[in-house]
Amino acid sequence: MSLSRTPFLRGIYDALPLLGGYIPVAISFGLISTQSGFDVLETILISIFIYAGASQFLFVAMMSAGTPLWLVIAMTLLINARHVVYAPNIAIYLPQSRWWPWLMHGLTDQIFALSLTSLPRMPENARMGWYTGAALLAWLSWIFGTALGAVAGEELTARWPLLGEVMPFALPALFLVLIAPLFTSRIWIITLGATTILAFLLKLFGYLNAAIPLAAVSGAIIYYLIQRQDEQNAK
Amino acid sequence: MPNDLWIALIISAVGTLLMRLLPLIWMQRHLARRKSQEAAAEMPTWLSVFGPLMIAAMFGVSLVPSSMTPEAWIATAIGSLSTLTVWWFKRSLGWPVFAGVVAYGFVTLAS
Repeated sequence: MSLSRTPFLRGIYDALPLLGGYIPVAISFGLISTQSGFDVLETILISIFIYAGASQFLFVAMMSAGTPLWLVIAMTLLINARHVVYAPNIAIYLPQSRWWPWLMHGLTDQIFALSLTSLPRMPENARMGWYTGAALLAWLSWIFGTALGAVAGEELTARWPLLGEVMPFALPALFLVLIAPLFTSRIWIITLGATTILAFLLKLFGYLNAAIPLAAVSGAIIYYLIQRQDEQNAK
Repeated sequence: MPNDLWIALIISAVGTLLMRLLPLIWMQRHLARRKSQEAAAEMPTWLSVFGPLMIAAMFGVSLVPSSMTPEAWIATAIGSLSTLTVWWFKRSLGWPVFAGVVAYGFVTLAS
């Protein structure tokens, strides 16, 4: 895209593919939340402030089932615990600004993946504008989708059932585009391939919440084993 | 809004924000310390390995279709191949994703 666009607009442009994944899932969340007994305002507030897909579904399910409060909070935070490794990974690319701590609210799985691959390729003075544009678009689309689902989710899913089925493919497509350039050497081909397959199998067998951290940790172990093997062979 | 919901919402929201924010502050301090010691401002190696692996894990998880029918698997395979093919030629972000979604949609509609 043209470099003459401001970094903020460039961030919005780069985050556009996320909408295909965010809006249908947010509509589902809005619908499920209102069906679970939350009103429209409560549903939107959950999306504004917690802003973490999977944990929001669990949050409304547990709250509506009357689960003890401490358990609702503990499970919500446990599911979001994978987020602790995101900010340190991109910190080296972030120029000094007192706004970063607040902007971290927008650091979802997808914004992290997008940032990790995009930030190193842009000048330092463009990074904050780019991140703000991308994260803001993603956050607003999540809130918009939630509101839409809470107000008119039933009509939407009845009228366009295929839309909700097709658009979420934007997420695997986006992740594929983000990891494809990383297959640069034998060690990364093996490690990234093994991590993808392991996460896929864990999700397939029902371990959705453990799949991402467990696969990534296993991938890291594989990386170090290969690295050690290569070092021994070199001696 | 019932009090229980407020309490759970506020604690979960603040907790999630802190999990995204505190590691940033820790890492910024780590980098500043290295800079003051005139060492290269590098992140720990394990972190630079972990980042790409998290993306690979997210990709693996997102590949499993919500309805596990043969049609959905075929659509996923064709959608992924289309994405990869367009990426190979364009080396950009938007068009490959668009092509993948269109291919996935065509297969879903046709089946």
